[in-house]
Amino acid sequence: MTLSKSKRYSISEQTYVCLRRAFLLTALILFHSGTADLRAQITGKPAYGDFAITNATVHTVTNGIIEGGVVLVEEGEITHVGSNVRVPDSVHRIDATGLHLYPGFIDSFTHLGLVEISAVPVTVDHRELGTHNPQVQAVTAINPHAVAIPVTRVGGVTTVISSPASSQVAGKAALIDLWGYTPEAMAVTERAALVVEWPSLPADTSNEDAMERYESQRDELDDYWQDAQFYESMISAYNQGEATTSRPERNLRLEAMREVVRGEIPVILRVNRERDILKALEWISNYPEISFLFQGVAEGWRVASRIAEAEVPVIVNTLYTPLRSYDNYQRPYQNPGLLAEAGVLVLLGTGETENVRNLLFEAGYAAAYGLGREEALKSITINPARAWGVEDRFGSIEPGKQANLVLTDGDPFEPSTHIHNVMINGYLIPMESRQQQLFEEFLDWDATR
Amino acid sequence: MTNLRIPFSLILLLWLLPLQPVSSQTPPAHAIINSTIHHADGSETESGSIVWRDGIIASIGRADSIEIPFDARIIDGGDSLHVYPGLVDGLALWGSPERSGPPERVDNPGEPGYERAGIQPDRLPSKLIQSSDEVFSNALKQGYTTALIGLEGYMLPGQTEIFFLHDNDTKSQIYREKIGFLFQFEPAPGGWGNRAYPTTTMGVMARFRQLLYDAEALMQHLDYYSESEPGMPVPQRDEVLEALFPILNQEKEIFFAADSKEDIERYLRLHDEFDLNSVIVSGGEAYRVSEELLERDIPVLASFNLPDPPEWYSTLREEGESEVPEVSGPEEERYRKRQLNSWLDRVKNIRSLLDAGVHVGFASNGLSLDDIQEKTNFLLDEGEITAGELLTIMTSSTSSILGISTHTGALREGMIANFSLWTNPTNEEEARILKTVSNGTIIQF
Amino acid sequence: MTANYRQYSLFSTLFLAFFTLCSGTVSLSAQDGGSLLLRNATVIPVTGDDLPDTDIMIVDGLIQAIGQNLAAPEDIEVIDASDKYIMPGIVDAHSHLNSIGVNESSHPVTPEVTMAESIDPNSVAIYRALAGGVTTINLMHGSANVIGGRNVTLKLRYGRSQYDMIMEGAPQTVKFALGENPTRVHGQDSGVQPRTRMGVEQVIREYFDAAIDYRSKRDDYLAMKREYDQNPDGIPPVPVPENLRLEVILDILDGNIIVHAHSYRADEIFMLTRIFSDYGITGYTFQHANEAFKVAPELREAGAHASIFSDWWAYKFEVYYSTAYSATILNENEVVTSIHSDSNELIRHLNLEAAKSMRYGGTSENDAIRMITLNPAKQLGIDDRVGSLEIGKEGDLSVWSGHPLSIYSVNELTVIDGNIYFDRSSDPDDMRIRVSPSVDYHETEYSESIQDHHFRINSGLNQHQIEE
Repeated sequence: MTLSKSKRYSISEQTYVCLRRAFLLTALILFHSGTADLRAQITGKPAYGDFAITNATVHTVTNGIIEGGVVLVEEGEITHVGSNVRVPDSVHRIDATGLHLYPGFIDSFTHLGLVEISAVPVTVDHRELGTHNPQVQAVTAINPHAVAIPVTRVGGVTTVISSPASSQVAGKAALIDLWGYTPEAMAVTERAALVVEWPSLPADTSNEDAMERYESQRDELDDYWQDAQFYESMISAYNQGEATTSRPERNLRLEAMREVVRGEIPVILRVNRERDILKALEWISNYPEISFLFQGVAEGWRVASRIAEAEVPVIVNTLYTPLRSYDNYQRPYQNPGLLAEAGVLVLLGTGETENVRNLLFEAGYAAAYGLGREEALKSITINPARAWGVEDRFGSIEPGKQANLVLTDGDPFEPSTHIHNVMINGYLIPMESRQQQLFEEFLDWDATR
Repeated sequence: MTNLRIPFSLILLLWLLPLQPVSSQTPPAHAIINSTIHHADGSETESGSIVWRDGIIASIGRADSIEIPFDARIIDGGDSLHVYPGLVDGLALWGSPERSGPPERVDNPGEPGYERAGIQPDRLPSKLIQSSDEVFSNALKQGYTTALIGLEGYMLPGQTEIFFLHDNDTKSQIYREKIGFLFQFEPAPGGWGNRAYPTTTMGVMARFRQLLYDAEALMQHLDYYSESEPGMPVPQRDEVLEALFPILNQEKEIFFAADSKEDIERYLRLHDEFDLNSVIVSGGEAYRVSEELLERDIPVLASFNLPDPPEWYSTLREEGESEVPEVSGPEEERYRKRQLNSWLDRVKNIRSLLDAGVHVGFASNGLSLDDIQEKTNFLLDEGEITAGELLTIMTSSTSSILGISTHTGALREGMIANFSLWTNPTNEEEARILKTVSNGTIIQF
Repeated sequence: MTANYRQYSLFSTLFLAFFTLCSGTVSLSAQDGGSLLLRNATVIPVTGDDLPDTDIMIVDGLIQAIGQNLAAPEDIEVIDASDKYIMPGIVDAHSHLNSIGVNESSHPVTPEVTMAESIDPNSVAIYRALAGGVTTINLMHGSANVIGGRNVTLKLRYGRSQYDMIMEGAPQTVKFALGENPTRVHGQDSGVQPRTRMGVEQVIREYFDAAIDYRSKRDDYLAMKREYDQNPDGIPPVPVPENLRLEVILDILDGNIIVHAHSYRADEIFMLTRIFSDYGITGYTFQHANEAFKVAPELREAGAHASIFSDWWAYKFEVYYSTAYSATILNENEVVTSIHSDSNELIRHLNLEAAKSMRYGGTSENDAIRMITLNPAKQLGIDDRVGSLEIGKEGDLSVWSGHPLSIYSVNELTVIDGNIYFDRSSDPDDMRIRVSPSVDYHETEYSESIQDHHFRINSGLNQHQIEE
């Protein structure tokens, strides 16, 4: 499974060595583990078993960098991390000399698996009709065979929030690993958060009609939240046997709000503008029992200290244009850094579907414009693991954590770096996607004529 | 007010006297005596008199130097009334039928036909304006006597013609017909969902060029045909293209209506390409291309359609600094500074044009009479324009741009009797208009 | 040109003559060219190996010297660029950065319109592109029409008037569009051909043939007219009006206008190469061309170029079978390939977009840089003037804190014609040229939409998509 290379091609030798190594390595392991020939599959089957990744520069995220490190993976779990780990003979060794090992990268806001081709409506499953849909769940409609999923994971993103979107209460987002044949197998947390679109103030607050629309959206949200709280207290009371009347009518939607108002799952508020952020901060202070995260937060830098005070984590990105015509051109790049500096917990989320792989470059921009490399790395590893309540299993290379690992030949934020191997939940993923297959097929197909 | 009482009652008295004409051949003369005459150039004649007969000013000057004919009906201003030359609107859309509503969807949006595309250079105001429109009497009431009238529409909405205003029969008061064409970068109506060629400014420009090429060919064909021996195919007549012939012959003006610097620059390309006779109408940002206009000797009929001042600045002007909302920080402070400068630049457009030596007249171009009055205050207060300059712009300068300055636009012997009579100088708040004389006809208020 | 030439001082005229002798490629375009000496940088000339510790001297807008320890003429502004990298100004072969109208969408064939008459010189997006090191763009007509309007090549001289932004003497280019957009806009929406890719082909052939017929009729008429006007005898000729639309198509057929064809699928790309081969059109570029890689050898044969997104795909059906490795495949197959933005966001970091070709397939650093400099310049027919750092070329460059293909490098200076248009060390927040007097501060907080590229992708079948 190596690339044939005719003489007139000039791809650097190093790249070829890298690519060849990646393929050879996978093939070798697959051979050992007795799986079928890769080429028989659309994407090949992964290798599963016990692995020792040796001689790697291990970026643990939480415990510094280990040069010449060894990471032992057994039954999908990281069991040992260090420079002096005894490697049992039974495990597959992956020699990572000259390579860097990172925990799997996490994108905290995507629509991956829900949208196949955005301009073809029948393939778009992230926008349900209606204003309030707390009952809809992304996990239901995530297509494990979406073409974008392999494209994304071979880029090093192993885990994403996949989210619905709509006019107000959009539904529940799932935290998924990008490997598995069913949504259930992929899901880390099926209902990871409720997604709410924060109503945006109109451009001209003196425009009465626009203000009226805004106020009514705000009222709708307030009313809905109060209905949910009432429903929850009514049902709890009934369940505790306090009710004297018969069983209250069941409301599917409000039922889905119960875990939200009880604070059992967090709420992602999508909000971007300065004044909207301030309004949203005011609103969430009414619900101290609920954990809120803000997503978008394009003007977060304007009110960073206020967000920090409220201890609201943010899900941001960098590759967009400044919102106001008189904004400095760098603000989108600086936003994560300025927020972090103020003390806000920063997670990165591309908001993308087919190009979630750009997460690493968004992180690179954040790093270059103030966030710094270390914090940028955290914003796509341990920070999201904490925010999504899976810190015990994700976000760093530590014993006891799920084996989501990425092996690279350099700084993963640098576009010149190649991703060599990806492991998700202990599965050594075939480094294949339709995009890479097209490359193999067409790079030098002329040579075969 | 007391010194007004006597002459005023005298005027009324004189007016009501049922005088018979002295001779059936010679209609009676009229005279306004003992009034301040404000001239188009901004100068004044105190205790002046003006005599007119047959719609023509017979004599004008200091009262003591003017002989009042025996048959003149006299209005004695008692040294307190004010005469102004009739205002000239360089391009008004008064009385025009409104732009048609949502257009029909065309089968072939690429070839929608002239009318659907807004190409109507064959339309004439003298055929289409509604004389009964109250805008005419309102305009007279503000001292307007003369206007170049165009029609509302799109790219080439029609020709322009000069009228004297009349309170109910302006149509019949046509003074110069078919003097030019209104042209603007207005795509065909309909928008994205109901589009028709042209849909963009660049499309309008291309269409304009093609129209002239087509007109040129037709003109050539007609020309050849007229001299040809039998055997030449008969030209396919086309009213729209034929209406454009005078442009090719450089006989008529193009009144190009636009405000932005960039649109004016774009138009100048067409001006140069076809060697057009051009007048810029509205020209809100014309000051930014004054050099280019001067180079080509293109005048501007400026609209007073100034943008509204910043809201905070209006508050500052009207209610004082204490009422202005405080800035949220240095960003807003910078913003306000640039915003105000940008507004002041626009308000000083006419000043800048005049300073650069550009010939400036006035055109309402759709701005309502009330708005004109309001915006005029901005010009006087912030636009560094004096009342005298404003008068010049709205009278003699405009008539000169329209090519009628030898006949109207100023108060001189031999000129057409176009003027108005006021109780006070018009820049005073209590000024009220008493009469307007338009082409010799007296309209009383 | 001669008239403008006289405006030169004797001094610069002499210099120009000198460069003309040296390189033979100097144009007289850099009318208001500035002078600048940048010292001690790593210079990426693109046409050769990177040059460490090297100076570049621009005089009157043209690169006069590249070398070490250059002698500084008096009064020249000297900038210490130690530890910095200097690359040629980025050329974006596909942009809608600053126009007042994009699509004359009412007719499937509209080459008579030109984006030169649709320039908005006031958009702050220009400054933001400059901040990303971009100096030249192809301001393109939209993709609604099979044969769209002409494009215009601009230098991002922010602050100058619309016509001063036009790159003087650059060849004209024209937009074609194949596939979903024209078949939707005209066929599906208006019920006018083409509704299919079959129809697209025939619309092109129909208009090409019409133009050829028109030429013979028009030429005949003009000849007969000359004759008749000199000697009015017999029946005069029936006039054939000048037809702007067909005149432009004739220019295309004559090779005076370079075609840039919006396209995605391999079949439609191949289709156009066949038409162009039939009509003898060469030197054209496929824009977006997500599946050009599938016919890369054919494109090499045809001498056709490709100007592509680094990694955009799946936003519509015709880009579903795409790959981010496309740049590498095309480049390795010796197709002149550029990476474009087609987006006011991507144009801010075309260096990153180019660098992705290293990750996806292992394109070399030099080739990656070439894809945003010399290659797009070739596609616009201006590679003799910009796109590399060579003596005699125009002084368009950017100065970076590190290698421009590194994600951590930041552009610090953008220079066009030897004049500085972006300087990060003095970079005020408010870089607007046009300020609306009537919009108060508080209204601006919401007046501008959140305009990232997701907006367009997610917006479905709307006008924005036609702007590709």
